[in-house]
Amino acid sequence: MVTFKTNFGDITLELFEDKAPKTVENFLSYVKDGFYDNTIFHRVIEGFMIQGGGFTVDMDQKDTKDTIENEANNGVANEKGTIAMARTNDPHSATAQFFINVNNNDFLNHTSESVNGWGYCAFGKVTEGMDVVEKIKSVKTGSHGYHQDVPVEPVIIEKAIIA
Amino acid sequence: MSLTYFIADLHLSADRPDITECLLNFLSRDAKQADALYVLGDLFEVWIGDDDITPFNTAIAAAFHEVSQHCPVYFMHGNRDFAIREAWLKKAGMSLLKEQTVVDLYGTPTLLTHGDELCTRDVAYQKFRKKSRGWWWPRLMLALPLWYRRRVAENGRKESKEKQKGLKPEIMDVTPLEVEKAMQRHGVQRLIHGHTHRPNIHSLTVNGKPATRIVLGDWYDQGSILKVSPKEVMLQHNKFNQ
Repeated sequence: MVTFKTNFGDITLELFEDKAPKTVENFLSYVKDGFYDNTIFHRVIEGFMIQGGGFTVDMDQKDTKDTIENEANNGVANEKGTIAMARTNDPHSATAQFFINVNNNDFLNHTSESVNGWGYCAFGKVTEGMDVVEKIKSVKTGSHGYHQDVPVEPVIIEKAIIA
Repeated sequence: MSLTYFIADLHLSADRPDITECLLNFLSRDAKQADALYVLGDLFEVWIGDDDITPFNTAIAAAFHEVSQHCPVYFMHGNRDFAIREAWLKKAGMSLLKEQTVVDLYGTPTLLTHGDELCTRDVAYQKFRKKSRGWWWPRLMLALPLWYRRRVAENGRKESKEKQKGLKPEIMDVTPLEVEKAMQRHGVQRLIHGHTHRPNIHSLTVNGKPATRIVLGDWYDQGSILKVSPKEVMLQHNKFNQ
Protein backbone atom coordinates (compact mmCIF):
# COMPACT_ATOMS: atom_id res chain seq x y z
CA MET A 1 0.00 0.00 0.00
CA VAL A 2 1.16 3.48 -0.86
CA THR A 3 -0.44 6.74 0.22
CA PHE A 4 -0.07 10.06 -1.59
CA LYS A 5 -0.46 12.93 0.85
CA THR A 6 -1.72 15.70 -1.44
CA ASN A 7 -2.91 19.24 -0.81
CA PHE A 8 -6.38 17.92 -1.77
CA GLY A 9 -6.29 15.01 0.72
CA ASP A 10 -4.92 11.46 0.91
CA ILE A 11 -5.07 8.89 -1.89
CA THR A 12 -4.29 5.31 -0.86
CA LEU A 13 -3.28 2.74 -3.44
CA GLU A 14 -3.21 -1.03 -3.43
CA LEU A 15 -0.51 -2.36 -5.77
CA PHE A 16 -0.81 -5.48 -7.93
CA GLU A 17 2.61 -7.06 -7.22
CA ASP A 18 1.48 -10.40 -8.61
CA LYS A 19 0.19 -8.99 -11.92
CA ALA A 20 2.81 -6.33 -12.60
CA PRO A 21 5.86 -7.19 -10.45
CA LYS A 22 8.43 -5.12 -12.35
CA THR A 23 6.19 -2.09 -12.59
CA VAL A 24 5.35 -2.21 -8.87
CA GLU A 25 9.00 -2.64 -7.93
CA ASN A 26 9.91 0.36 -10.08
CA PHE A 27 7.11 2.49 -8.62
CA LEU A 28 8.06 1.56 -5.04
CA SER A 29 11.70 2.45 -5.69
CA TYR A 30 10.67 5.98 -6.68
CA VAL A 31 8.46 6.19 -3.59
CA LYS A 32 11.34 5.06 -1.32
CA ASP A 33 13.71 7.57 -2.93
CA GLY A 34 11.28 10.37 -2.11
CA PHE A 35 11.16 11.12 -5.85
CA TYR A 36 7.42 11.84 -5.84
CA ASP A 37 7.59 14.20 -2.83
CA ASN A 38 6.62 17.70 -3.95
CA THR A 39 5.77 16.65 -7.47
CA ILE A 40 2.46 17.63 -9.02
CA PHE A 41 -0.41 16.25 -11.05
CA HIS A 42 0.57 18.23 -14.15
CA ARG A 43 -1.94 16.86 -16.65
CA VAL A 44 -5.57 16.67 -15.65
CA ILE A 45 -8.30 15.78 -18.14
CA GLU A 46 -11.80 15.37 -16.77
CA GLY A 47 -13.49 12.21 -17.99
CA PHE A 48 -10.12 10.65 -18.78
CA MET A 49 -7.28 10.62 -16.25
CA ILE A 50 -5.05 12.62 -13.92
CA GLN A 51 -1.31 12.29 -14.61
CA GLY A 52 1.58 13.09 -12.32
CA GLY A 53 4.86 12.03 -10.81
CA GLY A 54 7.30 13.80 -13.12
CA PHE A 55 7.20 17.55 -12.57
CA THR A 56 8.02 19.88 -9.72
CA VAL A 57 5.66 22.63 -8.62
CA ASP A 58 7.61 24.98 -10.96
CA MET A 59 6.84 22.64 -13.91
CA ASP A 60 10.44 21.46 -14.16
CA GLN A 61 10.69 17.88 -15.39
CA LYS A 62 12.65 15.64 -13.00
CA ASP A 63 15.40 13.26 -14.14
CA THR A 64 14.35 9.64 -13.89
CA LYS A 65 15.89 6.19 -13.79
CA ASP A 66 15.90 3.86 -16.78
CA THR A 67 12.77 2.88 -18.68
CA ILE A 68 10.99 -0.33 -17.76
CA GLU A 69 9.34 -3.20 -19.57
CA ASN A 70 5.64 -2.73 -20.27
CA GLU A 71 3.61 -5.33 -18.36
CA ALA A 72 0.26 -4.28 -19.83
CA ASN A 73 -0.10 -7.80 -21.19
CA ASN A 74 -1.04 -8.86 -17.62
CA GLY A 75 -4.72 -8.49 -18.46
CA VAL A 76 -5.45 -5.73 -15.91
CA ALA A 77 -7.91 -3.26 -17.44
CA ASN A 78 -7.61 0.53 -17.20
CA GLU A 79 -10.78 0.82 -15.16
CA LYS A 80 -11.89 3.84 -13.19
CA GLY A 81 -9.72 4.14 -10.09
CA THR A 82 -6.76 2.14 -11.40
CA ILE A 83 -3.25 3.58 -11.55
CA ALA A 84 -1.14 2.94 -14.67
CA MET A 85 2.22 4.01 -16.08
CA ALA A 86 2.51 6.91 -18.53
CA ARG A 87 4.93 6.56 -21.42
CA THR A 88 5.93 7.86 -24.87
CA ASN A 89 4.95 6.18 -28.15
CA ASP A 90 7.48 3.45 -27.38
CA PRO A 91 5.52 0.86 -25.37
CA HIS A 92 8.52 0.13 -23.12
CA SER A 93 9.36 3.68 -22.14
CA ALA A 94 7.70 4.20 -18.75
CA THR A 95 9.87 5.65 -15.99
CA ALA A 96 8.29 7.54 -13.08
CA GLN A 97 5.14 9.22 -14.39
CA PHE A 98 1.83 7.53 -13.77
CA PHE A 99 -1.83 8.34 -14.17
CA ILE A 100 -5.02 7.48 -12.33
CA ASN A 101 -7.94 6.59 -14.61
CA VAL A 102 -11.07 8.56 -13.77
CA ASN A 103 -13.12 6.63 -16.32
CA ASN A 104 -13.18 3.13 -17.80
CA ASN A 105 -10.55 3.74 -20.48
CA ASP A 106 -10.77 0.45 -22.32
CA PHE A 107 -8.86 1.85 -25.31
CA LEU A 108 -5.75 1.99 -23.12
CA ASN A 109 -5.79 -1.76 -22.54
CA HIS A 110 -3.36 -4.21 -24.09
CA THR A 111 -4.65 -5.76 -27.31
CA SER A 112 -1.50 -6.95 -29.10
CA GLU A 113 2.29 -6.82 -28.85
CA SER A 114 2.60 -3.96 -31.36
CA VAL A 115 3.28 -0.24 -31.03
CA ASN A 116 -0.42 0.55 -31.31
CA GLY A 117 -1.68 -2.40 -29.32
CA TRP A 118 0.60 -2.62 -26.27
CA GLY A 119 -1.56 -0.40 -24.15
CA TYR A 120 -0.79 1.07 -20.74
CA CYS A 121 0.15 -1.02 -17.72
CA ALA A 122 -2.34 -0.71 -14.87
CA PHE A 123 -0.52 -1.85 -11.73
CA GLY A 124 -2.75 -0.86 -8.83
CA LYS A 125 -5.96 0.80 -7.74
CA VAL A 126 -7.22 3.47 -5.41
CA THR A 127 -8.65 1.89 -2.24
CA GLU A 128 -9.25 5.09 -0.29
CA GLY A 129 -9.50 8.70 -1.38
CA MET A 130 -11.38 8.30 -4.65
CA ASP A 131 -13.26 11.44 -3.55
CA VAL A 132 -9.90 13.23 -3.58
CA VAL A 133 -9.25 11.97 -7.12
CA GLU A 134 -12.72 13.18 -8.13
CA LYS A 135 -11.93 16.62 -6.73
CA ILE A 136 -8.61 16.77 -8.59
CA LYS A 137 -10.09 15.72 -11.93
CA SER A 138 -12.41 18.72 -11.88
CA VAL A 139 -9.85 21.46 -11.16
CA LYS A 140 -9.47 24.34 -13.58
CA THR A 141 -6.71 23.76 -16.12
CA GLY A 142 -4.81 25.83 -18.67
CA SER A 143 -1.66 25.84 -20.81
CA HIS A 144 1.88 26.11 -19.46
CA GLY A 145 4.49 26.42 -22.21
CA TYR A 146 4.05 23.42 -24.46
CA HIS A 147 1.94 21.65 -21.88
CA GLN A 148 -1.82 21.66 -21.92
CA ASP A 149 -4.33 20.60 -19.28
CA VAL A 150 -2.09 21.85 -16.47
CA PRO A 151 -3.98 22.69 -13.26
CA VAL A 152 -4.03 26.44 -12.71
CA GLU A 153 -3.60 25.92 -8.96
CA PRO A 154 -0.97 23.21 -8.44
CA VAL A 155 -2.14 19.81 -7.21
CA ILE A 156 0.82 18.69 -5.11
CA ILE A 157 1.88 15.27 -3.86
CA GLU A 158 3.46 16.54 -0.68
CA LYS A 159 4.65 13.11 0.32
CA ALA A 160 4.36 9.52 -0.90
CA ILE A 161 4.60 6.95 1.87
CA ILE A 162 4.63 3.17 2.00
CA ALA A 163 2.05 1.96 4.50
CA MET B 1 -9.58 -7.71 -61.26
CA SER B 2 -12.26 -6.58 -58.82
CA LEU B 3 -10.39 -4.76 -56.13
CA THR B 4 -10.70 -1.49 -54.25
CA TYR B 5 -7.96 0.11 -52.17
CA PHE B 6 -8.28 2.30 -49.08
CA ILE B 7 -5.52 4.30 -47.42
CA ALA B 8 -5.43 6.99 -44.72
CA ASP B 9 -3.13 8.64 -42.19
CA LEU B 10 -0.03 8.80 -44.37
CA HIS B 11 0.95 12.13 -42.78
CA LEU B 12 3.14 12.91 -45.77
CA SER B 13 5.75 15.60 -45.32
CA ALA B 14 8.90 16.56 -47.21
CA ASP B 15 11.05 15.43 -44.29
CA ARG B 16 9.80 11.82 -44.42
CA PRO B 17 10.99 10.58 -47.84
CA ASP B 18 10.59 6.95 -46.73
CA ILE B 19 6.81 7.34 -46.46
CA THR B 20 6.63 9.15 -49.79
CA GLU B 21 8.68 6.47 -51.53
CA CYS B 22 6.44 3.73 -50.17
CA LEU B 23 3.35 5.60 -51.39
CA LEU B 24 4.80 6.27 -54.84
CA ASN B 25 5.64 2.58 -55.20
CA PHE B 26 2.12 1.61 -54.21
CA LEU B 27 0.58 4.13 -56.61
CA SER B 28 2.68 3.12 -59.60
CA ARG B 29 2.62 -0.64 -59.01
CA ASP B 30 -0.71 -1.54 -57.46
CA ALA B 31 -3.23 1.27 -57.38
CA LYS B 32 -3.72 1.52 -61.14
CA GLN B 33 -5.03 -2.05 -61.28
CA ALA B 34 -7.89 -1.27 -58.90
CA ASP B 35 -11.52 -0.39 -59.48
CA ALA B 36 -11.04 2.63 -57.22
CA LEU B 37 -8.66 4.17 -54.69
CA TYR B 38 -10.00 5.93 -51.59
CA VAL B 39 -7.87 8.25 -49.46
CA LEU B 40 -9.68 8.72 -46.16
CA GLY B 41 -7.91 11.74 -44.75
CA ASP B 42 -4.60 12.86 -43.26
CA LEU B 43 -2.79 12.30 -46.52
CA PHE B 44 -0.58 15.22 -45.47
CA GLU B 45 0.86 15.99 -42.06
CA VAL B 46 -0.22 19.59 -42.48
CA TRP B 47 -1.99 21.64 -45.18
CA ILE B 48 -1.82 25.41 -45.10
CA GLY B 49 -3.66 26.16 -48.34
CA ASP B 50 -3.73 25.16 -52.02
CA ASP B 51 -1.69 28.28 -52.80
CA ASP B 52 1.26 26.74 -50.92
CA ILE B 53 2.59 25.12 -54.08
CA THR B 54 5.79 23.20 -53.38
CA PRO B 55 7.79 20.70 -55.46
CA PHE B 56 6.79 18.12 -52.86
CA ASN B 57 3.02 18.46 -52.98
CA THR B 58 3.14 18.95 -56.76
CA ALA B 59 4.91 15.61 -57.16
CA ILE B 60 2.35 13.90 -54.92
CA ALA B 61 -0.48 15.41 -56.97
CA ALA B 62 1.13 14.20 -60.20
CA ALA B 63 1.46 10.64 -58.87
CA PHE B 64 -2.23 10.51 -57.89
CA HIS B 65 -3.21 12.12 -61.17
CA GLU B 66 -1.45 9.33 -63.03
CA VAL B 67 -3.51 6.78 -61.08
CA SER B 68 -6.70 8.71 -61.84
CA GLN B 69 -6.14 8.02 -65.53
CA HIS B 70 -6.73 4.34 -64.75
CA CYS B 71 -9.24 4.33 -61.90
CA PRO B 72 -11.22 6.89 -59.91
CA VAL B 73 -9.43 8.36 -56.90
CA TYR B 74 -11.51 9.70 -54.01
CA PHE B 75 -10.40 11.93 -51.19
CA MET B 76 -11.97 12.67 -47.83
CA HIS B 77 -10.61 15.33 -45.47
CA GLY B 78 -8.77 14.37 -42.30
CA ASN B 79 -8.10 16.47 -39.23
CA ARG B 80 -4.66 17.46 -40.59
CA ASP B 81 -5.52 18.29 -44.18
CA PHE B 82 -9.06 19.64 -43.87
CA ALA B 83 -7.93 22.78 -45.71
CA ILE B 84 -7.30 20.97 -49.02
CA ARG B 85 -9.53 22.53 -51.64
CA GLU B 86 -10.57 21.97 -55.24
CA ALA B 87 -7.41 23.51 -56.76
CA TRP B 88 -5.08 20.82 -55.43
CA LEU B 89 -7.62 18.00 -55.76
CA LYS B 90 -8.00 18.83 -59.44
CA LYS B 91 -4.25 18.60 -59.92
CA ALA B 92 -4.33 15.22 -58.19
CA GLY B 93 -7.28 13.95 -60.22
CA MET B 94 -9.22 13.37 -57.02
CA SER B 95 -12.93 13.67 -56.32
CA LEU B 96 -13.87 15.00 -52.93
CA LEU B 97 -16.15 12.92 -50.74
CA LYS B 98 -18.10 14.40 -47.87
CA GLU B 99 -17.40 13.09 -44.39
CA GLN B 100 -19.58 10.03 -43.72
CA THR B 101 -20.31 8.94 -47.24
CA VAL B 102 -21.93 5.59 -47.99
CA VAL B 103 -20.58 3.70 -51.00
CA ASP B 104 -21.63 0.38 -52.48
CA LEU B 105 -18.67 -1.99 -52.27
CA TYR B 106 -19.47 -5.01 -54.41
CA GLY B 107 -23.00 -5.13 -53.06
CA THR B 108 -22.25 -4.15 -49.43
CA PRO B 109 -23.23 -0.61 -48.45
CA THR B 110 -20.22 0.73 -46.56
CA LEU B 111 -19.90 3.90 -44.55
CA LEU B 112 -16.62 5.76 -45.08
CA THR B 113 -15.25 8.43 -42.78
CA HIS B 114 -11.92 9.74 -41.50
CA GLY B 115 -13.07 8.95 -37.98
CA ASP B 116 -12.10 11.91 -35.83
CA GLU B 117 -15.76 12.85 -35.35
CA LEU B 118 -16.29 9.46 -33.68
CA CYS B 119 -13.70 10.19 -30.96
CA THR B 120 -16.14 12.11 -28.79
CA ARG B 121 -14.33 11.39 -25.53
CA ASP B 122 -11.67 13.92 -26.51
CA VAL B 123 -13.73 16.94 -25.59
CA ALA B 124 -10.95 19.49 -26.20
CA TYR B 125 -10.30 18.16 -29.69
CA GLN B 126 -14.01 18.14 -30.57
CA LYS B 127 -14.16 21.82 -29.64
CA PHE B 128 -11.27 22.58 -32.00
CA ARG B 129 -12.82 20.41 -34.68
CA LYS B 130 -16.08 22.30 -34.52
CA LYS B 131 -14.21 25.56 -34.99
CA SER B 132 -11.84 24.35 -37.68
CA ARG B 133 -14.61 22.77 -39.74
CA GLY B 134 -16.95 25.71 -39.29
CA TRP B 135 -17.45 28.43 -41.88
CA TRP B 136 -15.49 31.38 -40.51
CA TRP B 137 -12.29 29.89 -39.10
CA PRO B 138 -10.96 28.19 -42.28
CA ARG B 139 -11.84 31.27 -44.34
CA LEU B 140 -10.02 33.50 -41.92
CA MET B 141 -6.98 31.20 -41.84
CA LEU B 142 -6.80 30.83 -45.62
CA ALA B 143 -7.11 34.60 -46.02
CA LEU B 144 -3.89 35.17 -44.08
CA PRO B 145 -0.73 35.74 -46.16
CA LEU B 146 1.08 32.60 -47.27
CA TRP B 147 4.36 33.59 -45.55
CA TYR B 148 2.47 33.92 -42.30
CA ARG B 149 0.75 30.55 -42.66
CA ARG B 150 4.14 28.95 -43.44
CA ARG B 151 5.58 30.42 -40.27
CA VAL B 152 2.64 29.19 -38.20
CA ALA B 153 3.08 25.70 -39.69
CA GLU B 154 6.80 25.73 -38.92
CA ASN B 155 6.11 26.74 -35.31
CA GLY B 156 3.47 24.04 -35.15
CA ARG B 157 6.05 21.47 -36.24
CA LYS B 158 8.44 22.55 -33.51
CA GLU B 159 5.71 22.53 -30.93
CA SER B 160 4.55 19.09 -31.96
CA LYS B 161 8.13 17.77 -31.68
CA GLU B 162 8.31 19.25 -28.20
CA LYS B 163 4.94 17.74 -27.31
CA GLN B 164 6.03 14.30 -28.46
CA LYS B 165 8.54 14.35 -25.65
CA GLY B 166 5.59 14.54 -23.27
CA LEU B 167 4.29 11.31 -21.84
CA LYS B 168 0.96 9.85 -22.81
CA PRO B 169 -1.79 8.41 -22.70
CA GLU B 170 -3.88 10.28 -25.25
CA ILE B 171 -7.55 9.83 -25.87
CA MET B 172 -7.24 8.19 -29.22
CA ASP B 173 -10.06 5.86 -29.99
CA VAL B 174 -13.61 5.99 -31.19
CA THR B 175 -16.51 5.94 -28.76
CA PRO B 176 -18.36 2.66 -29.39
CA LEU B 177 -21.76 4.32 -28.99
CA GLU B 178 -20.89 6.94 -31.64
CA VAL B 179 -19.90 4.18 -34.07
CA GLU B 180 -23.19 2.41 -33.52
CA LYS B 181 -25.18 5.64 -33.91
CA ALA B 182 -23.42 6.56 -37.16
CA MET B 183 -23.94 3.09 -38.65
CA GLN B 184 -27.59 3.09 -37.62
CA ARG B 185 -28.13 6.55 -39.06
CA HIS B 186 -26.74 5.47 -42.42
CA GLY B 187 -28.33 2.02 -42.31
CA VAL B 188 -25.07 0.13 -42.90
CA GLN B 189 -23.43 -2.97 -41.43
CA ARG B 190 -19.93 -1.99 -42.49
CA LEU B 191 -17.78 1.02 -41.59
CA ILE B 192 -14.28 1.91 -42.79
CA HIS B 193 -12.33 4.67 -41.05
CA GLY B 194 -8.82 5.84 -40.15
CA HIS B 195 -7.58 8.48 -37.70
CA THR B 196 -6.99 6.28 -34.64
CA HIS B 197 -3.89 4.51 -36.01
CA ARG B 198 -5.25 1.24 -34.62
CA PRO B 199 -5.56 -1.00 -37.68
CA ASN B 200 -7.99 -3.81 -37.08
CA ILE B 201 -11.16 -5.50 -38.28
CA HIS B 202 -13.71 -5.42 -35.46
CA SER B 203 -16.92 -7.42 -35.28
CA LEU B 204 -19.87 -5.77 -33.58
CA THR B 205 -23.64 -5.81 -33.55
CA VAL B 206 -25.66 -3.00 -35.10
CA ASN B 207 -29.45 -3.10 -35.41
CA GLY B 208 -29.32 -6.60 -33.96
CA LYS B 209 -27.25 -7.84 -36.91
CA PRO B 210 -23.56 -8.63 -37.24
CA ALA B 211 -21.53 -5.65 -38.43
CA THR B 212 -17.89 -4.86 -39.20
CA ARG B 213 -15.72 -1.87 -38.35
CA ILE B 214 -12.50 -1.73 -40.34
CA VAL B 215 -9.76 0.59 -39.11
CA LEU B 216 -7.00 1.65 -41.49
CA GLY B 217 -3.43 1.80 -40.24
CA ASP B 218 -1.07 4.78 -40.32
CA TRP B 219 2.09 5.07 -42.41
CA TYR B 220 4.62 6.08 -39.76
CA ASP B 221 6.53 2.79 -39.85
CA GLN B 222 5.11 1.01 -42.91
CA GLY B 223 2.62 1.38 -45.73
CA SER B 224 -0.86 0.34 -44.58
CA ILE B 225 -3.38 -0.57 -47.22
CA LEU B 226 -6.86 -2.04 -47.09
CA LYS B 227 -7.80 -4.28 -50.00
CA VAL B 228 -11.49 -4.98 -50.54
CA SER B 229 -12.67 -7.44 -53.18
CA PRO B 230 -16.08 -9.10 -53.59
CA LYS B 231 -14.70 -12.04 -51.61
CA GLU B 232 -12.37 -10.65 -49.00
CA VAL B 233 -11.28 -7.73 -46.89
CA MET B 234 -7.59 -7.57 -46.05
CA LEU B 235 -5.31 -5.16 -44.22
CA GLN B 236 -1.92 -5.26 -45.92
CA HIS B 237 1.41 -3.80 -44.81
CA ASN B 238 4.15 -2.69 -47.18
CA LYS B 239 7.58 -2.33 -45.63
CA PHE B 240 9.57 0.81 -46.34
CA ASN B 241 12.50 0.66 -48.81
CA GLN B 242 11.09 -2.23 -50.77
